[in-house]
Amino acid sequence: MDNTLLISLSHQIAAFRSMDAIANNIANVSTTAFQREEPTFQEYIVNVQPAEGEVGQQSLSFVKDTGLVRDLGEGRLDTTGAPFDLAIHGKGYFVVQTANGDRYTRDGHFTLNETGQLVTSNGDAVQGDAGPITITPDDGDIHIAADGTVSGKTGQIGRLRVVDFENPRLLAKEGASLYATDQPPVTADNFKLQSGMLESSNVQPVLEIAHMIEVMRAYQATATLSQSQEDLMRRAIQELGGIQN
Amino acid sequence: MRALSIAATGMLAQQTNVEVIANNLANMNTTGFKEQRAEFEDLLYQNITQPGANSSDSGTVVPSGIQIGAGVRTAAVYRVTTQGDFKNTANPYDVAISGPGFFRIQQPDGTDAYTRAGNFGLSPEGQIVTDQGYTVSPGIAIPANTLSVAINAQGQVSATIAGQSAPQAVGTLELTRFANEAGLRAIGNNLYLETPASGSPQAGVPGTTGYGTLQQGFLETSNVNAVEEITSLITAQRAYEMNSKVITAADQMLQATTHLGG
Repeated sequence: MDNTLLISLSHQIAAFRSMDAIANNIANVSTTAFQREEPTFQEYIVNVQPAEGEVGQQSLSFVKDTGLVRDLGEGRLDTTGAPFDLAIHGKGYFVVQTANGDRYTRDGHFTLNETGQLVTSNGDAVQGDAGPITITPDDGDIHIAADGTVSGKTGQIGRLRVVDFENPRLLAKEGASLYATDQPPVTADNFKLQSGMLESSNVQPVLEIAHMIEVMRAYQATATLSQSQEDLMRRAIQELGGIQN
Repeated sequence: MRALSIAATGMLAQQTNVEVIANNLANMNTTGFKEQRAEFEDLLYQNITQPGANSSDSGTVVPSGIQIGAGVRTAAVYRVTTQGDFKNTANPYDVAISGPGFFRIQQPDGTDAYTRAGNFGLSPEGQIVTDQGYTVSPGIAIPANTLSVAINAQGQVSATIAGQSAPQAVGTLELTRFANEAGLRAIGNNLYLETPASGSPQAGVPGTTGYGTLQQGFLETSNVNAVEEITSLITAQRAYEMNSKVITAADQMLQATTHLGG
Protein backbone atom coordinates (compact mmCIF):
# COMPACT_ATOMS: atom_id res chain seq x y z
CA MET A 1 0.00 0.00 0.00
CA ASP A 2 2.94 2.31 0.67
CA ASN A 3 4.29 1.53 -2.77
CA THR A 4 2.47 4.43 -4.40
CA LEU A 5 4.18 6.84 -2.02
CA LEU A 6 7.57 5.20 -2.45
CA ILE A 7 7.37 5.24 -6.24
CA SER A 8 6.28 8.89 -6.13
CA LEU A 9 9.20 9.60 -3.84
CA SER A 10 11.67 8.00 -6.27
CA HIS A 11 10.29 10.24 -9.01
CA GLN A 12 10.44 13.33 -6.83
CA ILE A 13 14.09 12.67 -5.98
CA ALA A 14 14.80 12.26 -9.68
CA ALA A 15 13.03 15.55 -10.40
CA PHE A 16 15.16 17.33 -7.77
CA ARG A 17 18.27 15.87 -9.39
CA SER A 18 17.13 17.12 -12.81
CA MET A 19 16.43 20.54 -11.36
CA ASP A 20 19.94 20.74 -9.85
CA ALA A 21 21.48 19.86 -13.22
CA ILE A 22 19.30 22.44 -15.04
CA ALA A 23 20.12 25.11 -12.45
CA ASN A 24 23.84 24.43 -12.88
CA ASN A 25 23.52 24.61 -16.67
CA ILE A 26 21.69 27.94 -16.51
CA ALA A 27 24.07 29.36 -13.88
CA ASN A 28 26.95 28.55 -16.24
CA VAL A 29 25.35 30.03 -19.35
CA SER A 30 28.21 32.58 -19.54
CA THR A 31 31.01 30.27 -18.38
CA THR A 32 33.76 29.90 -20.97
CA ALA A 33 33.72 26.46 -22.65
CA PHE A 34 31.18 25.04 -20.19
CA GLN A 35 29.54 21.84 -21.42
CA ARG A 36 25.94 21.29 -20.43
CA GLU A 37 24.87 18.16 -18.62
CA GLU A 38 21.73 16.14 -18.67
CA PRO A 39 20.78 13.45 -16.17
CA THR A 40 19.78 10.04 -17.48
CA PHE A 41 17.30 7.86 -15.63
CA GLN A 42 16.56 4.16 -15.65
CA GLU A 43 13.60 2.11 -14.70
CA TYR A 44 14.36 0.09 -11.60
CA ILE A 45 12.09 -2.93 -11.38
CA VAL A 46 11.34 -4.64 -8.11
CA ASN A 47 9.45 -7.94 -8.05
CA VAL A 48 6.99 -8.24 -5.23
CA GLN A 49 4.78 -10.94 -3.82
CA PRO A 50 1.33 -10.97 -5.36
CA ALA A 51 -1.24 -9.23 -3.26
CA GLU A 52 -3.84 -11.36 -1.54
CA GLY A 53 -6.41 -12.64 -3.97
CA GLU A 54 -4.19 -12.03 -6.99
CA VAL A 55 -2.07 -14.44 -8.94
CA GLY A 56 1.13 -14.11 -10.93
CA GLN A 57 4.26 -12.08 -10.56
CA GLN A 58 3.83 -8.42 -9.77
CA SER A 59 6.49 -5.83 -10.33
CA LEU A 60 6.96 -2.23 -9.29
CA SER A 61 8.82 0.29 -11.35
CA PHE A 62 10.92 2.93 -9.62
CA VAL A 63 13.05 5.68 -11.14
CA LYS A 64 16.78 5.63 -10.59
CA ASP A 65 19.34 8.16 -11.80
CA THR A 66 22.21 6.45 -13.50
CA GLY A 67 24.35 9.20 -14.85
CA LEU A 68 24.86 12.79 -15.82
CA VAL A 69 25.84 12.93 -19.47
CA ARG A 70 28.04 15.80 -20.62
CA ASP A 71 27.15 17.28 -23.98
CA LEU A 72 30.47 17.34 -25.85
CA GLY A 73 29.17 19.68 -28.53
CA GLU A 74 31.14 22.82 -29.25
CA GLY A 75 29.89 26.18 -27.97
CA ARG A 76 29.73 29.22 -30.20
CA LEU A 77 32.98 31.15 -30.60
CA ASP A 78 32.94 34.71 -29.21
CA THR A 79 35.42 37.37 -30.25
CA THR A 80 37.22 39.01 -27.33
CA GLY A 81 40.24 40.53 -29.08
CA ALA A 82 42.59 39.64 -26.21
CA PRO A 83 45.78 38.19 -27.74
CA PHE A 84 45.99 35.17 -25.44
CA ASP A 85 42.32 34.17 -25.58
CA LEU A 86 42.22 30.91 -27.50
CA ALA A 87 39.30 28.82 -28.64
CA ILE A 88 39.67 25.21 -29.71
CA HIS A 89 37.58 24.63 -32.81
CA GLY A 90 37.23 20.86 -33.00
CA LYS A 91 38.22 18.20 -30.50
CA GLY A 92 40.88 18.62 -27.87
CA TYR A 93 41.87 20.04 -24.51
CA PHE A 94 44.65 22.34 -23.32
CA VAL A 95 47.00 20.87 -20.70
CA VAL A 96 47.38 22.89 -17.49
CA GLN A 97 49.98 22.18 -14.85
CA THR A 98 48.33 22.53 -11.41
CA ALA A 99 49.55 21.77 -7.91
CA ASN A 100 47.66 18.45 -8.14
CA GLY A 101 49.19 17.40 -11.45
CA ASP A 102 48.16 17.87 -15.07
CA ARG A 103 44.58 18.97 -15.68
CA TYR A 104 42.73 19.51 -18.94
CA THR A 105 40.55 22.41 -20.04
CA ARG A 106 38.86 23.88 -23.09
CA ASP A 107 38.74 27.31 -21.43
CA GLY A 108 41.41 29.16 -23.38
CA HIS A 109 41.41 32.43 -21.45
CA PHE A 110 45.12 32.75 -20.74
CA THR A 111 47.29 35.66 -19.64
CA LEU A 112 50.94 36.19 -18.89
CA ASN A 113 52.26 36.17 -15.35
CA GLU A 114 54.99 38.39 -13.90
CA THR A 115 57.72 36.31 -15.56
CA GLY A 116 55.98 36.26 -18.95
CA GLN A 117 54.78 32.65 -18.64
CA LEU A 118 51.45 31.78 -20.27
CA VAL A 119 49.04 30.95 -17.40
CA THR A 120 45.32 30.39 -16.76
CA SER A 121 43.23 32.86 -14.78
CA ASN A 122 44.17 30.88 -11.64
CA GLY A 123 47.89 31.29 -12.40
CA ASP A 124 48.56 27.67 -13.42
CA ALA A 125 51.04 27.27 -16.28
CA VAL A 126 49.72 26.20 -19.67
CA GLN A 127 51.81 23.38 -21.12
CA GLY A 128 53.51 23.53 -24.48
CA ASP A 129 55.21 20.63 -26.23
CA ALA A 130 58.38 21.49 -24.31
CA GLY A 131 57.03 22.70 -20.97
CA PRO A 132 55.49 26.08 -20.14
CA ILE A 133 55.62 28.85 -22.75
CA THR A 134 57.40 32.07 -21.85
CA ILE A 135 56.86 35.25 -23.82
CA THR A 136 59.07 38.31 -23.38
CA PRO A 137 58.07 41.88 -24.30
CA ASP A 138 60.82 41.77 -26.96
CA ASP A 139 58.80 39.20 -28.90
CA GLY A 140 56.53 42.01 -30.07
CA ASP A 141 53.14 41.02 -31.46
CA ILE A 142 52.44 37.37 -30.75
CA HIS A 143 50.85 35.18 -33.38
CA ILE A 144 49.29 31.87 -32.41
CA ALA A 145 48.73 29.62 -35.40
CA ALA A 146 45.84 27.20 -35.86
CA ASP A 147 48.04 24.25 -34.89
CA GLY A 148 49.13 25.94 -31.62
CA THR A 149 52.50 27.28 -32.78
CA VAL A 150 53.31 30.45 -30.84
CA SER A 151 55.59 32.83 -32.67
CA GLY A 152 56.82 36.37 -32.14
CA LYS A 153 58.97 38.83 -34.00
CA THR A 154 62.09 36.70 -33.45
CA GLY A 155 60.58 33.42 -34.64
CA GLN A 156 58.93 30.41 -33.05
CA ILE A 157 58.64 30.44 -29.26
CA GLY A 158 56.89 27.12 -28.70
CA ARG A 159 53.82 25.09 -29.49
CA LEU A 160 50.79 24.70 -27.25
CA ARG A 161 49.97 21.15 -26.30
CA VAL A 162 46.45 20.12 -27.27
CA VAL A 163 45.44 16.59 -26.32
CA ASP A 164 42.40 14.39 -26.71
CA PHE A 165 41.19 11.22 -25.02
CA GLU A 166 39.82 7.92 -26.16
CA ASN A 167 36.73 8.50 -24.06
CA PRO A 168 36.29 12.21 -23.24
CA ARG A 169 33.10 11.46 -21.27
CA LEU A 170 35.20 9.79 -18.58
CA LEU A 171 36.84 13.09 -17.67
CA ALA A 172 35.79 14.18 -14.18
CA LYS A 173 34.90 17.82 -13.64
CA GLU A 174 36.92 19.55 -10.96
CA GLY A 175 35.41 23.03 -11.09
CA ALA A 176 37.35 26.08 -12.33
CA SER A 177 36.70 24.72 -15.85
CA LEU A 178 39.25 21.94 -15.29
CA TYR A 179 38.90 18.23 -15.97
CA ALA A 180 40.88 15.41 -14.39
CA THR A 181 41.39 11.86 -15.63
CA ASP A 182 43.65 8.82 -15.32
CA GLN A 183 43.39 8.12 -19.04
CA PRO A 184 46.60 8.66 -20.98
CA PRO A 185 46.20 11.69 -23.25
CA VAL A 186 46.71 11.23 -26.97
CA THR A 187 47.84 14.02 -29.28
CA ALA A 188 44.84 15.73 -30.83
CA ASP A 189 45.04 16.22 -34.57
CA ASN A 190 41.56 17.31 -35.46
CA PHE A 191 41.41 20.87 -34.16
CA LYS A 192 42.07 24.48 -35.08
CA LEU A 193 43.03 27.18 -32.57
CA GLN A 194 41.47 30.60 -32.96
CA SER A 195 43.25 33.38 -31.13
CA GLY A 196 41.33 36.41 -29.88
CA MET A 197 38.27 34.22 -29.38
CA LEU A 198 36.78 32.17 -26.57
CA GLU A 199 34.41 29.22 -26.77
CA SER A 200 31.20 30.12 -25.00
CA SER A 201 29.18 27.53 -23.08
CA ASN A 202 27.05 25.15 -25.15
CA VAL A 203 24.01 25.68 -22.91
CA GLN A 204 20.87 26.38 -24.96
CA PRO A 205 18.79 28.62 -22.68
CA VAL A 206 15.50 27.89 -24.47
CA LEU A 207 15.92 24.14 -24.07
CA GLU A 208 16.93 24.47 -20.43
CA ILE A 209 13.95 26.65 -19.53
CA ALA A 210 11.54 24.36 -21.40
CA HIS A 211 13.08 21.36 -19.66
CA MET A 212 12.83 23.14 -16.32
CA ILE A 213 9.09 23.79 -16.75
CA GLU A 214 8.60 20.16 -17.75
CA VAL A 215 10.42 18.92 -14.62
CA MET A 216 8.51 21.31 -12.39
CA ARG A 217 5.11 20.25 -13.77
CA ALA A 218 6.00 16.56 -13.52
CA TYR A 219 7.05 17.13 -9.93
CA GLN A 220 3.80 18.90 -9.12
CA ALA A 221 1.79 16.10 -10.77
CA THR A 222 3.60 13.51 -8.66
CA ALA A 223 3.03 15.61 -5.55
CA THR A 224 -0.69 15.69 -6.37
CA LEU A 225 -0.66 11.93 -6.82
CA SER A 226 0.93 11.48 -3.38
CA GLN A 227 -1.65 13.84 -1.95
CA SER A 228 -4.55 11.83 -3.43
CA GLN A 229 -3.06 8.60 -2.17
CA GLU A 230 -2.81 10.08 1.27
CA ASP A 231 -6.42 11.29 1.18
CA LEU A 232 -7.43 7.81 0.13
CA MET A 233 -5.61 6.30 3.08
CA ARG A 234 -7.06 8.81 5.50
CA ARG A 235 -10.58 8.06 4.30
CA ALA A 236 -9.95 4.35 4.50
CA ILE A 237 -8.78 4.68 8.10
CA GLN A 238 -11.68 6.91 9.05
CA GLU A 239 -14.36 4.85 7.37
CA LEU A 240 -13.08 1.38 8.00
CA GLY A 241 -11.65 2.04 11.44
CA GLY A 242 -14.70 3.95 12.68
CA ILE A 243 -16.46 2.50 15.69
CA GLN A 244 -19.69 0.91 14.54
CA ASN A 245 -22.65 1.83 16.61
CA MET B 1 17.54 21.61 -2.78
CA ARG B 2 20.69 22.80 -4.52
CA ALA B 3 18.91 24.44 -7.45
CA LEU B 4 18.12 27.53 -5.33
CA SER B 5 21.71 28.24 -4.34
CA ILE B 6 23.05 27.28 -7.77
CA ALA B 7 20.72 29.79 -9.44
CA ALA B 8 21.75 32.39 -6.85
CA THR B 9 25.42 32.03 -7.89
CA GLY B 10 24.26 32.48 -11.48
CA MET B 11 22.46 35.72 -10.61
CA LEU B 12 25.50 37.03 -8.74
CA ALA B 13 27.77 36.26 -11.69
CA GLN B 14 25.47 38.03 -14.14
CA GLN B 15 25.29 41.01 -11.80
CA THR B 16 29.10 41.26 -11.90
CA ASN B 17 28.89 40.95 -15.68
CA VAL B 18 26.44 43.88 -15.91
CA GLU B 19 28.63 45.98 -13.58
CA VAL B 20 31.69 45.38 -15.76
CA ILE B 21 29.73 46.25 -18.93
CA ALA B 22 28.33 49.39 -17.26
CA ASN B 23 31.85 50.53 -16.37
CA ASN B 24 33.04 49.92 -19.93
CA LEU B 25 30.16 51.94 -21.38
CA ALA B 26 30.66 54.73 -18.83
CA ASN B 27 34.31 54.96 -19.91
CA MET B 28 33.63 54.85 -23.63
CA ASN B 29 35.11 58.34 -24.05
CA THR B 30 37.86 58.02 -21.45
CA THR B 31 41.32 58.61 -22.95
CA GLY B 32 43.45 55.46 -22.92
CA PHE B 33 40.78 53.33 -21.20
CA LYS B 34 41.07 49.57 -21.79
CA GLU B 35 37.84 47.58 -21.78
CA GLN B 36 37.34 44.89 -19.17
CA ARG B 37 35.69 41.51 -19.49
CA ALA B 38 34.30 39.26 -16.77
CA GLU B 39 35.45 35.66 -17.08
CA PHE B 40 33.44 32.92 -15.38
CA GLU B 41 34.26 29.37 -14.33
CA ASP B 42 32.21 26.54 -12.86
CA LEU B 43 32.31 25.87 -9.11
CA LEU B 44 33.22 22.64 -7.37
CA TYR B 45 31.40 19.42 -8.22
CA GLN B 46 29.81 17.00 -5.80
CA ASN B 47 30.70 13.47 -6.87
CA ILE B 48 27.73 11.17 -6.45
CA THR B 49 29.04 8.53 -8.84
CA GLN B 50 32.62 9.03 -10.03
CA PRO B 51 32.93 8.75 -13.82
CA GLY B 52 34.87 5.59 -14.60
CA ALA B 53 33.85 3.85 -11.35
CA ASN B 54 33.47 0.09 -11.63
CA SER B 55 29.91 -0.97 -12.25
CA SER B 56 30.55 -4.73 -12.05
CA ASP B 57 33.15 -7.32 -11.05
CA SER B 58 34.07 -7.88 -14.67
CA GLY B 59 35.60 -4.44 -15.00
CA THR B 60 32.85 -2.51 -16.75
CA VAL B 61 32.86 1.17 -15.86
CA VAL B 62 30.21 3.83 -15.37
CA PRO B 63 30.35 5.82 -18.64
CA SER B 64 29.54 9.25 -17.31
CA GLY B 65 29.04 9.22 -13.54
CA ILE B 66 26.97 11.74 -11.62
CA GLN B 67 28.63 14.99 -10.72
CA ILE B 68 26.37 17.80 -9.57
CA GLY B 69 27.87 21.26 -9.95
CA ALA B 70 27.52 23.99 -7.35
CA GLY B 71 27.08 26.87 -9.79
CA VAL B 72 29.37 29.52 -11.18
CA ARG B 73 31.88 32.07 -9.94
CA THR B 74 33.71 35.02 -11.41
CA ALA B 75 37.23 33.80 -12.16
CA ALA B 76 38.66 37.11 -13.31
CA VAL B 77 37.77 40.53 -14.58
CA TYR B 78 40.57 41.14 -17.03
CA ARG B 79 41.60 44.00 -19.25
CA VAL B 80 41.75 43.64 -23.01
CA THR B 81 44.91 45.61 -23.78
CA THR B 82 44.38 46.14 -27.48
CA GLN B 83 45.22 49.51 -28.99
CA GLY B 84 42.48 52.16 -29.02
CA ASP B 85 41.84 54.49 -31.94
CA PHE B 86 43.75 57.76 -32.38
CA LYS B 87 41.90 61.02 -32.12
CA ASN B 88 43.46 64.17 -33.52
CA THR B 89 43.34 67.01 -30.99
CA ALA B 90 46.10 69.30 -32.38
CA ASN B 91 47.07 70.10 -28.79
CA PRO B 92 50.90 70.03 -28.66
CA TYR B 93 50.91 68.38 -25.24
CA ASP B 94 48.59 65.53 -26.22
CA VAL B 95 50.70 62.44 -26.87
CA ALA B 96 49.40 59.03 -27.95
CA ILE B 97 51.41 55.81 -27.66
CA SER B 98 51.28 53.64 -30.77
CA GLY B 99 52.28 50.16 -29.60
CA PRO B 100 53.15 48.82 -26.15
CA GLY B 101 54.29 50.94 -23.23
CA PHE B 102 53.10 53.33 -20.55
CA PHE B 103 54.09 56.82 -19.46
CA ARG B 104 55.57 56.88 -15.96
CA ILE B 105 53.89 59.41 -13.68
CA GLN B 106 55.26 60.58 -10.36
CA GLN B 107 52.47 60.72 -7.80
CA PRO B 108 52.48 63.38 -5.05
CA ASP B 109 53.65 60.77 -2.49
CA GLY B 110 56.73 60.08 -4.62
CA THR B 111 55.67 56.63 -5.87
CA ASP B 112 55.34 55.79 -9.56
CA ALA B 113 52.11 55.21 -11.45
CA TYR B 114 51.67 54.37 -15.13
CA THR B 115 49.23 55.62 -17.73
CA ARG B 116 48.46 55.47 -21.43
CA ALA B 117 46.41 58.68 -21.31
CA GLY B 118 48.74 61.28 -22.80
CA ASN B 119 46.58 64.37 -22.26
CA PHE B 120 49.34 66.41 -20.67
CA GLY B 121 49.72 70.08 -19.88
CA LEU B 122 52.19 72.46 -18.30
CA SER B 123 52.56 73.22 -14.59
CA PRO B 124 53.08 76.80 -13.37
CA GLU B 125 56.82 75.95 -13.32
CA GLY B 126 56.71 74.93 -16.99
CA GLN B 127 56.98 71.18 -16.38
CA ILE B 128 55.05 68.60 -18.44
CA VAL B 129 52.36 67.25 -16.09
CA THR B 130 49.18 65.13 -16.30
CA ASP B 131 45.75 66.70 -16.00
CA GLN B 132 45.97 66.11 -12.23
CA GLY B 133 49.24 68.07 -12.16
CA TYR B 134 51.48 65.03 -11.53
CA THR B 135 54.93 65.15 -13.12
CA VAL B 136 55.49 63.00 -16.22
CA SER B 137 58.84 61.23 -15.76
CA PRO B 138 61.64 62.00 -16.27
CA GLY B 139 60.39 65.56 -15.63
CA ILE B 140 60.78 67.83 -18.63
CA ALA B 141 60.71 71.59 -18.16
CA ILE B 142 59.70 73.78 -21.09
CA PRO B 143 61.62 77.08 -21.01
CA ALA B 144 59.77 80.36 -20.75
CA ASN B 145 59.21 82.31 -24.01
CA THR B 146 58.70 79.05 -25.89
CA LEU B 147 56.84 79.55 -29.14
CA SER B 148 56.18 75.94 -30.02
CA VAL B 149 56.98 72.45 -28.77
CA ALA B 150 57.66 69.41 -30.93
CA ILE B 151 57.64 65.81 -29.67
CA ASN B 152 58.91 63.26 -32.15
CA ALA B 153 58.12 59.55 -32.45
CA GLN B 154 61.16 58.66 -30.31
CA GLY B 155 59.97 60.92 -27.48
CA GLN B 156 62.50 63.73 -27.97
CA VAL B 157 60.97 67.02 -26.88
CA SER B 158 62.30 70.16 -28.49
CA ALA B 159 61.22 73.76 -27.90
CA THR B 160 61.43 76.67 -30.29
CA ILE B 161 62.23 79.71 -28.16
CA ALA B 162 61.57 83.30 -29.14
CA GLY B 163 64.68 84.90 -30.56
CA GLN B 164 66.42 81.59 -31.37
CA SER B 165 66.44 80.13 -34.84
CA ALA B 166 67.17 76.48 -33.99
CA PRO B 167 64.86 74.46 -31.72
CA GLN B 168 66.40 73.46 -28.42
CA ALA B 169 66.24 69.84 -27.14
CA VAL B 170 64.76 69.91 -23.63
CA GLY B 171 64.46 66.18 -22.81
CA THR B 172 63.12 62.79 -23.83
CA LEU B 173 59.85 61.20 -22.74
CA GLU B 174 60.41 57.60 -21.69
CA LEU B 175 58.11 54.59 -21.89
CA THR B 176 57.79 51.73 -19.43
CA ARG B 177 56.68 48.20 -20.26
CA PHE B 178 55.70 45.15 -18.23
CA ALA B 179 55.90 41.40 -18.80
CA ASN B 180 52.15 41.23 -18.15
CA GLU B 181 50.30 44.49 -18.81
CA ALA B 182 46.98 42.89 -17.85
CA GLY B 183 48.34 42.38 -14.31
CA LEU B 184 48.58 46.11 -13.54
CA ARG B 185 46.26 47.46 -10.87
CA ALA B 186 43.97 50.30 -11.93
CA ILE B 187 43.62 53.04 -9.31
CA GLY B 188 41.35 55.39 -11.25
CA ASN B 189 42.30 58.69 -12.92
CA ASN B 190 43.61 56.55 -15.83
CA LEU B 191 46.51 55.46 -13.61
CA TYR B 192 47.87 51.96 -13.03
CA LEU B 193 50.21 50.62 -10.37
CA GLU B 194 52.80 47.87 -10.58
CA THR B 195 51.77 44.56 -8.91
CA PRO B 196 53.53 41.23 -8.34
CA ALA B 197 51.47 39.90 -11.27
CA SER B 198 52.57 42.57 -13.74
CA GLY B 199 56.29 41.99 -13.30
CA SER B 200 58.77 44.80 -12.66
CA PRO B 201 58.72 47.93 -14.83
CA GLN B 202 61.30 48.11 -17.64
CA ALA B 203 62.00 51.65 -18.80
CA GLY B 204 63.10 52.33 -22.37
CA VAL B 205 63.19 54.77 -25.22
CA PRO B 206 60.12 54.97 -27.49
CA GLY B 207 60.65 53.32 -30.85
CA THR B 208 63.20 50.75 -29.68
CA THR B 209 62.38 47.01 -29.74
CA GLY B 210 59.32 46.21 -27.64
CA TYR B 211 58.31 49.84 -27.11
CA GLY B 212 55.75 51.85 -29.00
CA THR B 213 56.28 55.18 -30.71
CA LEU B 214 54.76 58.54 -29.76
CA GLN B 215 52.34 60.68 -31.75
CA GLN B 216 52.13 64.35 -30.84
CA GLY B 217 48.73 66.03 -31.20
CA PHE B 218 46.81 62.78 -30.84
CA LEU B 219 45.08 60.98 -27.99
CA GLU B 220 44.36 57.25 -27.72
CA THR B 221 40.62 56.73 -27.30
CA SER B 222 39.19 53.88 -25.26
CA ASN B 223 39.06 50.49 -26.98
CA VAL B 224 35.44 49.93 -25.89
CA ASN B 225 33.24 48.73 -28.74
CA ALA B 226 29.75 50.06 -27.97
CA VAL B 227 27.87 47.55 -30.15
CA GLU B 228 29.68 44.64 -28.54
CA GLU B 229 28.98 45.99 -25.05
CA ILE B 230 25.27 46.48 -25.70
CA THR B 231 24.84 42.96 -27.07
CA SER B 232 26.73 41.60 -24.03
CA LEU B 233 24.43 43.66 -21.82
CA ILE B 234 21.34 42.09 -23.39
CA THR B 235 22.80 38.59 -23.00
CA ALA B 236 23.71 39.26 -19.37
CA GLN B 237 20.26 40.62 -18.56
CA ARG B 238 18.53 37.60 -20.13
CA ALA B 239 20.84 35.21 -18.30
CA TYR B 240 19.99 36.99 -15.04
CA GLU B 241 16.27 36.56 -15.75
CA MET B 242 16.71 32.88 -16.56
CA ASN B 243 18.46 32.27 -13.25
CA SER B 244 15.63 34.02 -11.43
CA LYS B 245 13.16 31.72 -13.26
CA VAL B 246 15.06 28.71 -11.91
CA ILE B 247 14.64 30.10 -8.40
CA THR B 248 10.89 30.52 -9.00
CA ALA B 249 10.58 26.98 -10.38
CA ALA B 250 12.55 25.46 -7.51
CA ASP B 251 10.42 27.44 -5.10
CA GLN B 252 7.22 26.07 -6.65
CA MET B 253 8.54 22.54 -6.32
CA LEU B 254 9.34 23.13 -2.66
CA GLN B 255 5.87 24.62 -2.21
CA ALA B 256 4.33 21.45 -3.66
CA THR B 257 6.44 19.49 -1.15
CA THR B 258 5.30 21.50 1.87
CA HIS B 259 1.66 21.03 0.83
CA LEU B 260 2.12 17.26 0.97
CA GLY B 261 0.43 15.73 3.96
CA GLY B 262 -1.37 19.03 4.45
